[in-house]
Amino acid sequence: MSTIMHHQMLCGFIEKVVNALLSMNLSSSASLVALEQKTLVVSLAELNFPLSLTVSDKQLLVTCITERSDCQIDTSLATLKTLKEEQQLTELIKQDKLNIVGDVKVAQQFADVFQQLDIDWQSEIASYIGDVPTYKLGRFHQWLLAKVTFAKQQVSADASEWLLHEKRVLVSNGELQQLYGQIQQAQQAIQQIEQRISQLDDAINASHQESLS
Amino acid sequence: MSEEKQPVNEQNASSTHFGYQTVDTAVKESKVAGVFHSVAQQYDVMNDLMSFGIHRLWKRFTIDASGVRPGNNVLDLAGGTGDLTAKFSKLVGREGRVVLADINSSMLNVGRDKLRDKGLVQNIDYVQANAEYLPFEDNTFDIITIAFGLRNVTHKDRALRSMYRVLKPGGRLLVLEFSKPEHEIINKAYDFYSFNLLPKMGELVAKDGDSYQYLAESIRMHPDQETLKQMMDDAGFEQTSYKNLTDGIVALHKGFKF
Repeated sequence: MSTIMHHQMLCGFIEKVVNALLSMNLSSSASLVALEQKTLVVSLAELNFPLSLTVSDKQLLVTCITERSDCQIDTSLATLKTLKEEQQLTELIKQDKLNIVGDVKVAQQFADVFQQLDIDWQSEIASYIGDVPTYKLGRFHQWLLAKVTFAKQQVSADASEWLLHEKRVLVSNGELQQLYGQIQQAQQAIQQIEQRISQLDDAINASHQESLS
Repeated sequence: MSEEKQPVNEQNASSTHFGYQTVDTAVKESKVAGVFHSVAQQYDVMNDLMSFGIHRLWKRFTIDASGVRPGNNVLDLAGGTGDLTAKFSKLVGREGRVVLADINSSMLNVGRDKLRDKGLVQNIDYVQANAEYLPFEDNTFDIITIAFGLRNVTHKDRALRSMYRVLKPGGRLLVLEFSKPEHEIINKAYDFYSFNLLPKMGELVAKDGDSYQYLAESIRMHPDQETLKQMMDDAGFEQTSYKNLTDGIVALHKGFKF
């Protein structure tokens, strides 16, 4: 399948997922209403084509149309996450991690829509698999979450312990280099002594032979 | 087939093709109408089945190529069950307008019911119209699309000129249509699929194998990419170009009026 078809498939997939999430949203859709007919074009470093997001009747349309937009952003996925912090924008632009053309408020309003998503997952899942399995799934999720949290805390504590105590007794790179230097010096001294002994040995042998003759 | 590749002659000919048959020009219209009256109710299901859902991606690409913006006037010609109209309606917003036009009343009815069920009522008009004689004033539309419709039109050159007339200066025409595969091996596989499996699927799902036999034949009789591009040039369109999709099984032609 050609690249064009892959792009269209990805746009279609994103559109389906986002609209499914928006339809489950319990919180107010005021931020979506404010974006009616607004378009944000996002060019991500990770994608080789732009994504155009347009809001229409509280739904999101995802296309590749770039001919018109209220705001255009060139950035990467990692930087996109930091967009909500307004005070960081100038710094990101200075660092060439972000390029914004148009009304930055539109971009922030789009970010708000996703941050304000409030989905009752248990209720959504229950409509597919029933209340009891959902309850058990919820309990399993909580148990798993507790285990993961504990494991994370354990790893974090072990790391702190290691940094505080173990790291001190480890040889640093500088110390290692100094040791290598000292060993080299000792080797050179030994070689000099060996040469000296050899010279002395030769001298003793020569005087011994002279006295015999 | 030679008639198709010489649109100037096509206009004067008293006979034309209906699939592989040669019929009187006056008869073709009613025969095509018969095909679409017959398949209208199962049209969407068959489209998904026949193309394995890929027609949705072809249509998405057409929307992208349209460069549509809020406030635009769009004509979705031979719009059938309204797939493109639905998307355009959302993108042009309340200040824009989309006209879903089709010569076939059954298709238009199915399209209207489908769009109304989706709640799309505010900015869509429905017009039963012949593409050769569009009932609109000159320079009316910003965008005209005709998806999988041009090959059923009796006088394609006349239809293209009519589209040119109603398009605004600066507007664009997009023709999404079956075309000629780029590679011979795909062509052969496609032929086998079209003439052996497609009519059977039509018989099974739409209870009408003949209409899908016509579909396969009409695709083969439709002008190839370069010929259609030349026809658009002849009709007055400028900066004409085309993009092959799925190895040229389908091509999207684009032309501007300046």
